[in-house]
Amino acid sequence: MKPHRRKKLGIILFIAAGLSVAVGFTAYALKQNINMFYTPTQVAEGEVGSGQHFRIGGMVKTGTVLGAEDSLKVSFVTTDFVSDVPIQYEGILPDLFREGQGIVAEGEMDAAGVFQASRVLAKHDENFMSPEVKAALDAAGATTENHMPGTN
Amino acid sequence: MWVWFSKLGSPKWFYELSGKWLPWLIAAMVIFMTIGLVWGLLFLPPDYQQGFTSRILIVHVAVAGTSLAFFPLMFVAGTITLVWRMKLADMVAKNAAILGAWFSFITLATGSLWGSVMWGTWWEWTDSRLVSMLFQLFLLLGVISLRSALEDSDTAAKACALLSIVGCINVVIIKYSVEWWNTLHQVSSPVTTDASSPNGPEFWIATLIMIVAVYLFLSVSLILSTRNEILERERRSQWVQDLVLKS
Repeated sequence: MKPHRRKKLGIILFIAAGLSVAVGFTAYALKQNINMFYTPTQVAEGEVGSGQHFRIGGMVKTGTVLGAEDSLKVSFVTTDFVSDVPIQYEGILPDLFREGQGIVAEGEMDAAGVFQASRVLAKHDENFMSPEVKAALDAAGATTENHMPGTN
Repeated sequence: MWVWFSKLGSPKWFYELSGKWLPWLIAAMVIFMTIGLVWGLLFLPPDYQQGFTSRILIVHVAVAGTSLAFFPLMFVAGTITLVWRMKLADMVAKNAAILGAWFSFITLATGSLWGSVMWGTWWEWTDSRLVSMLFQLFLLLGVISLRSALEDSDTAAKACALLSIVGCINVVIIKYSVEWWNTLHQVSSPVTTDASSPNGPEFWIATLIMIVAVYLFLSVSLILSTRNEILERERRSQWVQDLVLKS
């Protein structure tokens, strides 16, 4: 390789390496800002200021979904299996919403410690199963619960 | 190796060699695309929760995965353009940007379709996977417009090469966004034959076939458009005029 080409290649590799480091540090510094939601544990530990509009993500705790009979009001508890946060919501839920499913809710904490959601989104995990496999797994008593979202 | 390398840079040599490869690549593409689309879209079992909507992901995952190949490709082409001033590398980079923009757009469109049904939303500005993918589309549109904005083709080649090298870092962000930060977007599904994994093998085998099909489609499209570019840029050279006279 000719010297001037070697020099150019060196400059390009230096730019690429420098940029990677810069982006790496930026990403690390913005870690919390880029997160889409807080987990119930983070909320319990007081990481969210009072009156703040934010998103919370967790699993819908089994046996906690209560729907009103004459309206679209629904209440449930979201959990990361460490802490629980009760949620109230009025509106249409996504098809995927069910007990044991990951969700992301947007809204505010009220004075009673209940999260008043203005929007509820369903989160799907990385697993895909045909109905036959699901039935076979259920028959074998294996757990097919969705994984906890955002445990990282 | 250096002889082979400089030979590869010759547009004439590439034109002749790619002409020999093309029929095989096209045949392979048709076979994989047919199997992938027919199986994936018509016969694949539904997911127990998503129903048949899960079939959208066969296309989405294949196109999205392939769309991440464009910036690394343009990084290599850009480096060759800047260091060795090989014209062929710039011709490939020019067409890769255009194809990459389309791939990114299809990724976003299919993902939105699936999300509107499953998540209950078309778009979330707070999701780092979604936003970094949109950023890739904008970066590629930026590379395309940068080239058309600069009149001198040599300057345009250098500027685009540099932007491609810098933009390549975004691919890493897209790839790891779902692991570094919590997002609405799920993490990558594992490819596993482990019987205890809840993932059915038919889903990832169908996806894998689609990925091969889409990569073949990318190769064929890129070769075809590069051949066009070669003929246009080398139209005054003797071998292109001979070629035209012969046909």
